[in-house]
Formats: sequence, structure tokens, C-alpha cells
Amino acid sequence: RQFEGYDYSQQSGFFPPEMMQQQQPYMGQIYQPTQTYTPTSAQSFYGSSFEDEPPLLEELGINFDHIWQKTLTVLHPLKVADGSIMNETDLAGPMVFCLAFGATLLLAGKIQFGYVYGISAIGCVGMFCLLNLMSMTGVSFGCVASVLGYCLLPMILLSTFAIVFSLQGMMGIILTAGIIGWCSFSASKIFISALAMEGQQLLVAYPCALLYGVFALISVF
Amino acid sequence: QVWQAGKRQASRAFSLYANIDILRPYFDVEPAQVRARLLESMIPVKMVNFPQKIAGELYGPLMLVFTLVAILLHGMKTSDTIIREGTLMGTAIGTCFGYWLGVSSFIYFLAYLCNAQITMVQMLSLLGYGLFGHCITLFVTYNIHFHSLFYIFWLGVGGLSTLRMVAVLVSRTVGHTQRLILCGTLAALHMLFLLYLHFAYHKVVEGILDTLEGPNMPPFQRVARDIPVVSNALVNTTAKAAALTL
Repeated sequence: RQFEGYDYSQQSGFFPPEMMQQQQPYMGQIYQPTQTYTPTSAQSFYGSSFEDEPPLLEELGINFDHIWQKTLTVLHPLKVADGSIMNETDLAGPMVFCLAFGATLLLAGKIQFGYVYGISAIGCVGMFCLLNLMSMTGVSFGCVASVLGYCLLPMILLSTFAIVFSLQGMMGIILTAGIIGWCSFSASKIFISALAMEGQQLLVAYPCALLYGVFALISVF
Repeated sequence: QVWQAGKRQASRAFSLYANIDILRPYFDVEPAQVRARLLESMIPVKMVNFPQKIAGELYGPLMLVFTLVAILLHGMKTSDTIIREGTLMGTAIGTCFGYWLGVSSFIYFLAYLCNAQITMVQMLSLLGYGLFGHCITLFVTYNIHFHSLFYIFWLGVGGLSTLRMVAVLVSRTVGHTQRLILCGTLAALHMLFLLYLHFAYHKVVEGILDTLEGPNMPPFQRVARDIPVVSNALVNTTAKAAALTL
């Protein structure tokens, strides 16, 4: 370290004038820069790999503020959705929601993680095909999966309710229908604003309602 | 080399996407149009002298088939049907899509033999909208279990949608024998399908209702001769419940 510091102080200024002035130690100076360069580069590389590295969450692409924004959009069904929030496909939130849904089902005594994953996978593929056929611009699979995952949040409320009360009476039917409507309304609202398909909200909401209806079927029975 | 493999995969995916694009014009609909067509599918037309227009659209029929799948699943869950080989979801999807695609192809083939003026997409669309009557009937009768109500709905609602399909086909076919063959087959298959869907999942409901609730069930008697009947029913239902949870 001290040696390198000494070298730097000796080579104060620019490299090229020194190289041009002394031809004979030029050979030595060739060595020295490379000698001093590699340790410093290793050190600076090591420094950048430790200090300049972006924080872990940013590298993984998990942005808590955006997750919170999207969650709020889902929870306020009457709030107008911003079309640009779905530009980055974020699958961390949906993953958490699927796991939470499976966990609440587990608390009610139904070990059906397999059904949740299978139905969400098939449902995402189906919605992806349908939205690609119905919209002018295409849509990416990540975007569809992300939106459908976020709108699963009210369904988690339903299955939490099902832990304590049975959903098979009239009250349960009304609550289930309301929650399915809420989920599909939010999902269709976000799809419409992201894909600019005005006037077709009902047509997008109906397949979403069918998909969330199957999830509700798992929660109720 | 990884790039080559990735490029090959991307081009394969792209060609698959291009295939899906062929179906794009059939999904270009407005909600008002879908609603109008749903209501129209229950109204038989009177004029069979000139070919009736059939909308070649696949969104409505596809949604109706999926709705039928959902109603079937709901019915199977409420009646605690146990499918031994396969899953509930697989059976429901297989039944509904099999009916829609299979019967459409069969009737299209018959129409080809009988010289009827109808394309495959139009046939798919017609049969799909004809399932609207099935959806209504099953939705009502899976929740309210009366045999007579089901027969009324079967004849009334099922009959109306069948009559509409038959009228459209009659308007597009020439010749009495051909009309009879085509429409007879379609009517028979359509009505029998509704009958099958109801009865395949209905017996179990009746059985459980009789043993568990209802005024027909006598109160528990401490007489030895009644116990085997009740205990058999109880053993059956607990075995079914145990098999369902497994």
C-alpha cells in the first residue's frame, strides 16, 4: 500500500510526459504501471464489488414502495388506476399473496397448495392468450401474472373469514359473490388502463370472475 | 451456442404466437353485442326461407363453455361427487370442451354431407351460444333440487335453445331428408347432454339429502332392527367424507 502510494506521488501529474521524458526507465515504467495497476485495480475492483454494489433489494427488483402502491390500487376498487404502474413486472408481491392464500387455507384445514399453484398457472396462461387476442397491443406474461396475483388479495380476506365461520350459508354466498366481484373488478380495471381497451371492461372482467370463482370454490368447500 | 439455442426457442415461440394470431378477428366484440347474441340464442326465428346470419365469433362461446365448467364444478362440489381416476377439474373441462368441440365437428361433418351452408367457426359459435340454455338450467337446478322443476326447465329452456339452433340450420339446408337428419341429430345430442349433466351428479345429492336431513328421516329409535339401516347410511357417508378428504 505504501509502495503504491509512493509510486503515485512519484508519478505526480500525467503519465505520458514522464514516459516521454525517460526512455530508459520506460521499460521500468511499463512494469510499474502494470505492477501497480493490477493491485490497485484488484483493490478498486474489490472496493466496487463491496461498496458500489447496489443494495440487495434493488438488485432483486423488489421495490416496496411500488408494491404498496399496487396493493392500494387493488384495495380501492373505485380509484382510477394509473396505466404505467404495470410497466415493470414484479412477481414478488404476487408470490407473497399466493403463499398467504395457501397459508390461510392451511389454517382452515385444507392442504391445497398444489391446487392454488396449478389453478393460478393455468389461469395466467389462459388470460394471457385471451388478452393477447383481445387487445391491440400485446401483453407480456409477466404483466398478466403480476396483475392477477395482486388482485388475489381480497380472496385472502375471504379465506381468512372461512377459518372462523363456515361460508356455506346464505351470508357466505353473498360474501363470496361480493369478493369475487371486487377481485375481478380491480383486475379488469388495471388491465383496461394498462392496455387501453375502453368499453371492454365487462368482457375482461368476466374471465377474471370465472378464475377467481374457482379460487373461491377452493376456499368455500 | 447458448444464443443459438435461445434464438431457436424464440422463433418457435414466435411461430406459436403467430398461430394464435389467426384467431384474433374472432375475439373483436363489444359487451353490447355479446349481450344481444346471448338473448337472441334463446329466441327461435320464424323465417326459415332464407339463410339466417350467424355471427362467427368465439369469445361468447368460449366464455359460455368456461361458465358451464364452473357450474359443473360447483355442482360436483355441492353434491360431494368423488371421481376415482382423475380430478374434478379435469372431468369438468373434459366433458364441456369435449362436447363443444366434438359435437360441433360431428355436426359440421353431417352438414358437409347434407350440403348445408355453414362453416366450422359458425358451427362452433352456434353450438356455443346454445349452451347458454344449459348454463341457466343447471345453475338453477343444481341449487334447487326438484325433479319436476328440472323437467320443466329441460323442456322449456333447453327446448328453446335447441329450437333456435334447429331453425338456423333449417334455414341453411335444402331438402327435407337432409334437414331431418341434421336437425334431428343436433336436437337429440343437445337435449341428451343436458339430461346427462343433470343426472350424473344428481343421484349423490338425493342420497345424501335423504340420509342427513329432511323430514323423511325418522328420529333415532332405540329399537335394534332400525339400527343397521341408519348405521349403514352413516358408514357410507363417513366413508365418502373420508375418501373426499384423502
